[in-house]
Amino acid sequence: MFTLNVSGIGKHYRETLLFKDVSFQLNRGDVLAIAGWNGSGKSTLLRVIAGLVRPSAGRVEMFAGGESIPKESRRRFIGMVAPAISLYDELTGLENMEFFCRVRGFACNRNDCRDIVDRIGLTEHAKKMCGDYSSGMKQRLKLAQALLHGPPLLLLDEPGCNLDSKGIKVVEEIISRQRELGVTVIASNEKREVDYADRIINLSE
Amino acid sequence: MFAVTTLIAVSFSIGSFRIEEAERPFLYSVLLWIILTFSALSGLARSFVKEEEAGTIDVLKLSARPQAVFLGKLLFNLTLLGALGLVIVPSFIFLMAYQINFPGLFIAMVISGGLGLGAGTTIIAAMVARASARGALFSALSFPLLLPIMITAIKGCERATVGISTAGWPEVRIAVAYFVIMITMSLLLFPLVWEE
Repeated sequence: MFTLNVSGIGKHYRETLLFKDVSFQLNRGDVLAIAGWNGSGKSTLLRVIAGLVRPSAGRVEMFAGGESIPKESRRRFIGMVAPAISLYDELTGLENMEFFCRVRGFACNRNDCRDIVDRIGLTEHAKKMCGDYSSGMKQRLKLAQALLHGPPLLLLDEPGCNLDSKGIKVVEEIISRQRELGVTVIASNEKREVDYADRIINLSE
Repeated sequence: MFAVTTLIAVSFSIGSFRIEEAERPFLYSVLLWIILTFSALSGLARSFVKEEEAGTIDVLKLSARPQAVFLGKLLFNLTLLGALGLVIVPSFIFLMAYQINFPGLFIAMVISGGLGLGAGTTIIAAMVARASARGALFSALSFPLLLPIMITAIKGCERATVGISTAGWPEVRIAVAYFVIMITMSLLLFPLVWEE
């Protein structure tokens, strides 16, 4: 049982306040959408949850099986896709997956990586250099990288970005499957993506 | 490319005859380490900046422990520096007709000095990767951090060239100590540098 607890989170850069007092708790199966105008801090809030940015106030806690997960161990529980995140252009799609498997310390083989690449619909392009991918294919590969370790917390920043209708279907399947594995937080202004969620937090309000 | 260009420029403009024989050990050691240091700086400074510019730094943060990333980058930088040394040092010796009386000490000094240089440059590269004025910051940080290892390496190479009796190879030991201190400090400080 995975739980994400965000309490009183605020973030400001120098004098500019992005958001304040954001609190929510998510349990396994929950999908939360974070909406808001451009610059309202949706992506920053996701980065705060992921531990990539320190909050100015409040705290993020994660629990697995009722026990608190220390900050330094959280990366094993988090999968993240964001426009600012890129993979290695000089590696093929499959090599990227193998690289992140090894970096994360998994004993996964080429077949495991191939399975995940198949799942996101990149079978035919698995051995192409990532630098030669279209933006939609790169987005799919980012999704594969985020799912590689079966994380209970999936953070999706504009997950449908650059995807065609088949890609969007893949995102829907991922979110649907994630309900069994854990928690999903989506940052988006796209109505279709916000509609995947059970709850919505609007940072512009 | 920077290393080869500098080396050729130095060998053409100074050569082996324009410097008095008595001054050669010191000046050749200085020239060698200037070439090695600035060649290293031009390449190694990019190790973290490249991740930042390519946008892969976040996914790396989400995937690996900070210490693992630092050690990986250090290993890469040391390999690069080793390859650079394998090209530069023999070429320098050949082009400048560099006479070395204690080859063992000279090799140990180049290796230990290179280790120190690699360790120092890696942590500086990590620190400047997120800064906007990277070039200026890199120079400002490099000067105090790399000066001790440069002075030590120059002195050690000069001793090896002259053939002064060097019981215990003090400069090599200082360079190894510098390397160990830099690694220890870096492993402790890198998680703070790595986090935004």
